[in-house]
Amino acid sequence: MEIEVLEKNDTSLRLLIKGTNAAFLNSLRRTIIAEVPCMAIDEVVIIENSSILHDEILAHRLGLIPLKTDLDNYNLPEECPCQSEFGCNLCRVTLTLQAEAAEAPRTVYSGDLKSENPEIVPVSPNIPIVKLATGQRVMIEAYAKLGRGEKHAKWQPVSACTYKYMPKIEILEICDACGECVKICPKKVLVKTKGEIEVRDLMACTLCEDCADACPKEPPAIKIGWEEGNFIFQMETNGVLPVERIMLEALKILDSRFAEFLKELKGAKIEEA
Amino acid sequence: MIIPVRCFTCGKLIADKWEEFARRVQAGEDAGMVLDSLGIKRYCCRRMFLSHVEIIDEILKFFEEAQRKGQTI
Repeated sequence: MEIEVLEKNDTSLRLLIKGTNAAFLNSLRRTIIAEVPCMAIDEVVIIENSSILHDEILAHRLGLIPLKTDLDNYNLPEECPCQSEFGCNLCRVTLTLQAEAAEAPRTVYSGDLKSENPEIVPVSPNIPIVKLATGQRVMIEAYAKLGRGEKHAKWQPVSACTYKYMPKIEILEICDACGECVKICPKKVLVKTKGEIEVRDLMACTLCEDCADACPKEPPAIKIGWEEGNFIFQMETNGVLPVERIMLEALKILDSRFAEFLKELKGAKIEEA
Repeated sequence: MIIPVRCFTCGKLIADKWEEFARRVQAGEDAGMVLDSLGIKRYCCRRMFLSHVEIIDEILKFFEEAQRKGQTI
């Protein structure tokens, strides 16, 4: 397997992976989405809420706020040695929210949430939680826990996580550069230069084959295919964890799953036919 | 009612970008250009902004009016 980083920044990662198969990449994708733990508000105690949003909606909005996660110092509640339903300092973070619109209407933002651990704070301080009219108040205590995306999407560390085949575009000799394929391409992959059709941005191709359909030649002078075993893997974090950490955690989880499978397989008795 | 925290489809955080979007569109900028500059690429997230109506502002006016008259709702 050969990996090339096409693009990497604070929030997203694009890899070109050569010599693998869809089954492996799909298991990696599913592990990232459903099994890499991250922090989210899970339980909320509403002490006072005179705002126009119902308690449930308020709690739901709080739950969806992505929190910066510290995987090294916190345990998943089910794996925590405390084994308590209420949680302990190793598996729970308390956040409080106290806001009042004293003289004029105001918006309560995620930045108003006060966390007991300054490391576990909302990814952005500018998320509106609720708007208050004059005289309205909210007083809330919220408990954040680690969790996995398989239980609720609020525990997903990524927003989009996808892979696609590496596209392969072939322009045959019968092409007379009429430009129909350039016009129809939704991703502007092709470009017409001096009586020739050229590929401008191969990676953007979605394999839709509109160009082949639009080609007036029969059979079409443009052939869209993909490279067997070569993939473009993309993921975008919502800020809870750095992209490389998410990838490493996912691989660690997959690794332990396979190790367990191998152990069971070796221990299994082979039935004689 | 109020801008959803995340995109319904992909789960991207969108709420923190709403106020800037609303302000700039109000000022006359093209909505599509604003979304591009905010880094909202996918059409699932883009429709969250384009189709949203912040009704909470309208509802708050009733409470403000009641407050002014000294009534409770």
